Amino acid sequence: MDKFHPSLRECAIAATAFKLLLKSTDFEVHRNWLAITHSLPAKQWYFEKTSEWTLDYPPFFAAFEWCLSQIAKFFDPRMLEVDNLGYESVQTVYFQRLSVIVTELTLVYALQRYINTAPETSKRSAHAAALSILLSPALLIIDHIHFQYNGFMYGILLLSLVLARSPSTRLVSGLLFAVLLCTKHIYLYLAPAYFVFLLRAYCLGPDSVLNVRFGNVVKLGTGVLGIFAAAFAPFVYWGQMSQVLSRLFPFSRGLCHAYWAPNVWAMYSFTDRVLIHVAPRLGLAVDQSAVNSVTRGLVGDTAFAVLPDISPRTTFLLTLFFQALCLAKLFVQPTPDTFLGAVTLCGFASFLFGWHVHEKAILLVIIPFSLLALKDRRYLGAFRPLAVAGHVSLFPLLFTAPEFPLKTLYTVAWLLVFLSAFDKLAPVALDRRRFLLDRPETLFIVVSIPLVVYTEVVHGLVFGERYQFLPLMFTSSYSAFGVVGSWIGFSWLYFTG
Amino acid sequence: MARLARPADGGAAVPLGSWPGSLFGLGMAAPPMHGDFEAQRHWMEITAHLPVKDWYWHDLEWWGLDYPPLTAYHSWVLGIIGDSINPAWFALHDSRGSDDPALKTFMRASAIASELVTYIPAAVIFVRLYGRESAMSKYDKAVALAAILLQPALMLIDHGHFQYNAVMLGLTVLALDCFLTDHIYWGSFFFVLSLGFKQMALYYAPAVFAYLLGLCVFPHINVLRLIMLGITVVASFALVFAPLIVLGGREQLGQSLFRMFPFARGLWEDKVANFWCAANVAVKFRERFDSGLLQKASLVATLLAILPPCVILFLTPSKRLLPLALSATAWGFFLFSFQVHEKSVLLPLMPITLYLAASLDRDVVAWISWMNNLAMFSMWPLLQRDGLVLQYGVMSLLYAWLMGTFENLPRGWVGRLIHVGSYMAVLGLHVGEYMVGRVERWPDLWVVAGVEVCFGGFVVAWLWVLGALWRESRREGEKWKRE
Repeated sequence: MDKFHPSLRECAIAATAFKLLLKSTDFEVHRNWLAITHSLPAKQWYFEKTSEWTLDYPPFFAAFEWCLSQIAKFFDPRMLEVDNLGYESVQTVYFQRLSVIVTELTLVYALQRYINTAPETSKRSAHAAALSILLSPALLIIDHIHFQYNGFMYGILLLSLVLARSPSTRLVSGLLFAVLLCTKHIYLYLAPAYFVFLLRAYCLGPDSVLNVRFGNVVKLGTGVLGIFAAAFAPFVYWGQMSQVLSRLFPFSRGLCHAYWAPNVWAMYSFTDRVLIHVAPRLGLAVDQSAVNSVTRGLVGDTAFAVLPDISPRTTFLLTLFFQALCLAKLFVQPTPDTFLGAVTLCGFASFLFGWHVHEKAILLVIIPFSLLALKDRRYLGAFRPLAVAGHVSLFPLLFTAPEFPLKTLYTVAWLLVFLSAFDKLAPVALDRRRFLLDRPETLFIVVSIPLVVYTEVVHGLVFGERYQFLPLMFTSSYSAFGVVGSWIGFSWLYFTG
Repeated sequence: MARLARPADGGAAVPLGSWPGSLFGLGMAAPPMHGDFEAQRHWMEITAHLPVKDWYWHDLEWWGLDYPPLTAYHSWVLGIIGDSINPAWFALHDSRGSDDPALKTFMRASAIASELVTYIPAAVIFVRLYGRESAMSKYDKAVALAAILLQPALMLIDHGHFQYNAVMLGLTVLALDCFLTDHIYWGSFFFVLSLGFKQMALYYAPAVFAYLLGLCVFPHINVLRLIMLGITVVASFALVFAPLIVLGGREQLGQSLFRMFPFARGLWEDKVANFWCAANVAVKFRERFDSGLLQKASLVATLLAILPPCVILFLTPSKRLLPLALSATAWGFFLFSFQVHEKSVLLPLMPITLYLAASLDRDVVAWISWMNNLAMFSMWPLLQRDGLVLQYGVMSLLYAWLMGTFENLPRGWVGRLIHVGSYMAVLGLHVGEYMVGRVERWPDLWVVAGVEVCFGGFVVAWLWVLGALWRESRREGEKWKRE
């Protein structure tokens, strides 16, 4: 019998029922990948380009799609034809939705394990955090409406994070993360934290860094190399690595994603937009060709009119710099909690400073942070603006009228239920000082209400189809403030804690 | 009620399941847009654009208005609002059969908004009042409320099939709320509003009448109260019809009544799990007897069926008996009256589900959830036609699981036998229909078999409700004697 109610299993059942009733939209990417992996030899997977949605995930994900396609053919073999673009038979839709719901069970498993292994004193908090992840509106929006397999992969990540807590399962945790990297390379953003943690806590002795544990080094090294070899060796053998890498890392895309993920570059772009109007008075030069580019909001180059352009190298170095800061602390103090903090901060750094970040990458931050949010009230204080901003920033992904009430009501319900439950559960900090972000944080959360009302309702009524970039810009600039604020607050706790 | 009845954790349990649950409809896949959705939309179109005198006369072949005036006013308000958002949604003549996704969103939102201002607050108040009478804990009340608001049959009919039954039911519950707080005149007023929204509320009318009459006779005769009640009812009806008559002319009264009670339609339309349809396998009523005789027969049968609950309520006019008596009367109508629709099962179902606020005893929960489950099954042909197969499956199983159907049977072997037997039959019919498909010799085989199973079950349900009513009335009677 579970101790806390509703139990994870009960929530999973109810949530599954709810998810079955939803309607998803963007099936085509994954239908196409099913078709590619099913009907073409692996040699051609990364060359096929009939559809614009070319395969751009690492080989293990392609293999995962191949496995799914073996079942898909019993539902409707026509979905597995490469040139059958935009095919949406009822069976196809049902199969795809079911595949997301079923593979998401990895998440349920990982969360249940997380609750089971939590120490007795914090089991209640662990249970609440697990429920919040399971019922996350972000996963609901991205996976079950927008259609992706994030629940499945975040399940693997969480399992790996849980296994990393105990020294006896640290090897499995590392190997699992290697598998995850070969499934979706976005997790590279978190890899530095794993690298440092496993190096320090698994490969080197607990007391001295000079005490190298060779047995562990060999086990981890061969394991990780073996996994990468299994994923990439065939493509190396066929001499296709450059093609594979060009698909995985499309640096030709612009700095910001179409909808502007709420990061530093969104603020930077916003500043640039403002400067266009102010610059003439300040005597700054305005690049006229760039003035109109961002307003169209298309995927592609983001040109700046006043501020200097940003190169991929700059973003890369900035990301690395901020990651290095938190890794230094992790190296000195390789405890499981510091590791979780470092993973969260690596996620933050890459989300805030990365190149062409998609707004759904915010999950890289929200999910590890959720496991820390209930440590005490200060952590919760840093988590709250992230929870609000992260979810509000996903709203533009769903833009049709029938989706509006669903996404807003579900997200608001989730925020109300979990933030108030967290509020009751988070212990008072040992350090009794009032956290400096308390007041602005409340203000920030309140501002989200008029913002959502404007972007979702008022703008459409007043402007119709015109100035579509405006709500997007407001949403991402607003959310960027929340994410950056949460990052600063959390960094403070991480480095002083 | 295994799932719902466990202690909450961190306050996260019930809010997740209660009123947001009634919004599930939003996520549902698009139901077909003709049928009742088009009827409701069409009424908004005609009420928003035509003068009042044409409302009950306009092109009756295409979903002519056949509900009482409050529905017409409700449609008019929604039509005006919708028209100001997008004139194409309700353009006269040109909008027929429109299935613009934004229109669907508007209509769905309107159904939810209507439910939010009627049924949901009324149910919340009811559970508070009735639960207090039954000395229920705060947590049990929350559980009962969740079970009431998550009732899948109402959810699927209102938000999937598309109607505004929750408004009519909500007004009745509001009337019950008034009766529970001894505001009998307000109660009568709200009940008339319920009737004025949908004539289906007539299924409750004899019970409400018996209750009010009983209050005028017991413990001592109170003529003044009787007169006041009469005036209230007449005035309320006048209020409901006044705008129609003032703005449309006197002939509207006759025409609207004629539209509301279409006796010309025959004993039944679609196969429904009542006596006439179920017995039709043995006796072909519609071929052997003429329509007038059948009308009289059904009238007599219905009167006999509703007599017991009405007499009990009249003799013991206790407010505690109201949910059971309303349900028993509505079952009587559903089983024996003329022109019954599958959806009418919502009427006996609503008050008996409210009865959960009296007791979360295992036995009571098992019986009430069984009625809900069986009622869902009885609407299967309708929901299947609407393309709500997935929603039907998910909501039935979810509700059954939430209410603990899979692990909780009633006490006593007869009840167990009935429950297990009917669940097996339902399962068997679904599997059979799926595996075998349409049988050429008997094209209606699965529907008719379902009707027989449900009719059997509903008779048992009616008897169970009557039994519960009888026991409860004895308890109340003794309480009165003691006092």
